[in-house]
Amino acid sequence: MLPIPLSWWLTVSAALFSIGVFGALSRRNAIGILMGIELVLNAVNVNLVAFWRYVIPANVEGQIFALIVISVAAAEAAVGLAIVIAVYRRRHSAAVEELDILKH
Amino acid sequence: MLQEFEFVGVLSAITLTIPIVTLLIAWALRPKKPNPAKQTTYESGMETIGDAWVQFKAQYYIYAIIYVVFDVEAIFLFPFAVALRQLPLYALVWAVVFIVLLVDGLLYGWRKGALRWN
Amino acid sequence: MDALRLLTPEITITIFAFAIISLDIAWNDENKSRRILPWLAFAGGLATLLMIFYIWPHVDQYNYTAATDAGREVPMLAVDRMSLFFKMIAVLTVILVGLSAGEYVEKHTPFRGEFYGLMLLAGLSIMLLVSSTNLIMIYLALEFLSITSYILTGFLRRDARSIEAALKYFLYGALASGVMLYGFSLLYGATGSVDLATIAGSLETTQAGLVVAAVILMLAGFGFKIALVPFHQWSPDAYEGAPTPITAFLSVGPKAAGLAVLIRVMVVALPAFDVNWTPILSLVAIFTMSVGNLVALWQTNMKRMLAYSSIAQAGYMLVGLAAWSAAPPSAVAYLGGVDAIMLFLLAYMFTNLGVFAIAIILENQMGTSEIADYAGLIRRSPYLSVALLIFFLSLVGIPPTSGFIGKLFVFGAAVNQGLYVLALFGVFNSVISVAYYFGVLRNVFFEKGSDESPIRVGVAMNTVVTITVVMTLLIALYGQPFIQLAADSAQILAANF
Repeated sequence: MLPIPLSWWLTVSAALFSIGVFGALSRRNAIGILMGIELVLNAVNVNLVAFWRYVIPANVEGQIFALIVISVAAAEAAVGLAIVIAVYRRRHSAAVEELDILKH
Repeated sequence: MLQEFEFVGVLSAITLTIPIVTLLIAWALRPKKPNPAKQTTYESGMETIGDAWVQFKAQYYIYAIIYVVFDVEAIFLFPFAVALRQLPLYALVWAVVFIVLLVDGLLYGWRKGALRWN
Repeated sequence: MDALRLLTPEITITIFAFAIISLDIAWNDENKSRRILPWLAFAGGLATLLMIFYIWPHVDQYNYTAATDAGREVPMLAVDRMSLFFKMIAVLTVILVGLSAGEYVEKHTPFRGEFYGLMLLAGLSIMLLVSSTNLIMIYLALEFLSITSYILTGFLRRDARSIEAALKYFLYGALASGVMLYGFSLLYGATGSVDLATIAGSLETTQAGLVVAAVILMLAGFGFKIALVPFHQWSPDAYEGAPTPITAFLSVGPKAAGLAVLIRVMVVALPAFDVNWTPILSLVAIFTMSVGNLVALWQTNMKRMLAYSSIAQAGYMLVGLAAWSAAPPSAVAYLGGVDAIMLFLLAYMFTNLGVFAIAIILENQMGTSEIADYAGLIRRSPYLSVALLIFFLSLVGIPPTSGFIGKLFVFGAAVNQGLYVLALFGVFNSVISVAYYFGVLRNVFFEKGSDESPIRVGVAMNTVVTITVVMTLLIALYGQPFIQLAADSAQILAANF
């Protein structure tokens, strides 16, 4: 029995994705951009698990994929935060628009 | 459709009612004798100093990063542990290889002084 | 052959990478034996290359390693000649970059073990990516490659430019992979599978709109790795700020990997699906070539100019893929454009790594990579000047160099499929590129430099420059085996699906 139709989950996920992309593109702080990216990844996870449950519950691929996305996102965030800290130590700021040594 | 959400509605109503009722009873029964010491946020705690919005040492983040990575890697061990009885022996070998690689990472952090507080 | 033996190249490179990192933490900083770490990396690269040659003759059909899911086998990695070809490119890149990095690394960073260990791991990630036949595996390998590239780009963490480049690369890359992943999730939902071949089988019954959206989202992730316009903005900054050997690596490794995975997805998962990809691919190719070449005209920094030049080169490669997609659907086995891409890539790898080797030599000596400082190089080192001339001839595509053969095949494939406009754009762009390459050469041969001291070239550097010059000329003058190699590798891919 699946009371909530699949389209609802997809709508939530699409909204999360849009908010995440908007956040990543509009934020000026590197940490803010990272938060936007995490939202995008969570949207993906909602999608994957919903598709798994509604379309092909027999195969666990969707679940596995979601687990892998979560752990890779953690590894990525770890490296990203380390880079942000290294930038912060040199510039005392995490604002992306101040990163202008390299010509754009 | 709607009937299935009835449960959610009833459950929300109950969970909201219980704390509200308890607070109301406490408010009606308790004696009211305020004094300045009682009015502080942490009545029997330390005096607060300064602002909550201060900068933390970046080293906290190093610890947090190492913690998060290991925390999340545990994700892979849970499904493995659940399926352990049905898995062949070499699956155990691969799990050990996985853990050895993780330990190698921890060893690296330790040798490079990421765990030393200064 | 059984799965474990098919994966010997990957296993070899993993063992060497972890040996280097473990030895690095076992020995303390004063230990003299740490000097062998670069050579251990070199040995690891050579051993991996040998393993690839060892399994090459055994791989004449579709071999794969599989995981078991609910009683059925899910292929994860395909070991076919196409993936072996790209693995060879990855390992050669790691070897040549590792050789030319020695003095630079010595000079700029105390973290030698990490540098070489991560280089090998980056090579491993490319090897996994080009074999992936499964959306999960593609994502894992792509992230593996991305994370190692971010760290290597920001490797000089005391240098503000390096770390700034790493942050920009990371922010663009993380968003691109998130968007790509959303495309993956849609494709998984539309077909109910993460396996490329199964996806191909179930695509016809599903809605076209969803799949086209998924493919365009996926293109963001692959396009980011290849640095296709409009996903290229990170590359000039990342190339300029990264340590120069890493710039060399980024200009070949991730591009080859991104192309391989794009080819595999297009050839394996999407052929049965009735959408005409040619306009999209042609448009991206035209924009990539034109933007890369036009912006390169204005650059004054060698690394930045090479960044734009390599964007343009990726555009030429995409012409080959557009040509493939234009072939009639009845001829699924026709891979005319794909073997051209592989030949082009082989030529591009040797040529571009040669140019970067020269850039590294000059940076070691002079401390900058401004084009103005290349003035009078002919009097300081005639050998390097002539080598640079050969490399630039190859990048423009003038005979007798390998770049000419590569472009001949790529544009020829486009003409074969009637994509005259696309081929014309390619040729026109090559003409534009003459301007900035020859701007550098004018400096090298005809300008007078302030410093006239001769350039000192070490043994390792000399080897790299000589190998790349010889290969750049050899592929053109004695091209038959290489053309055959590319055609074989592409045909095997077609035969299996």
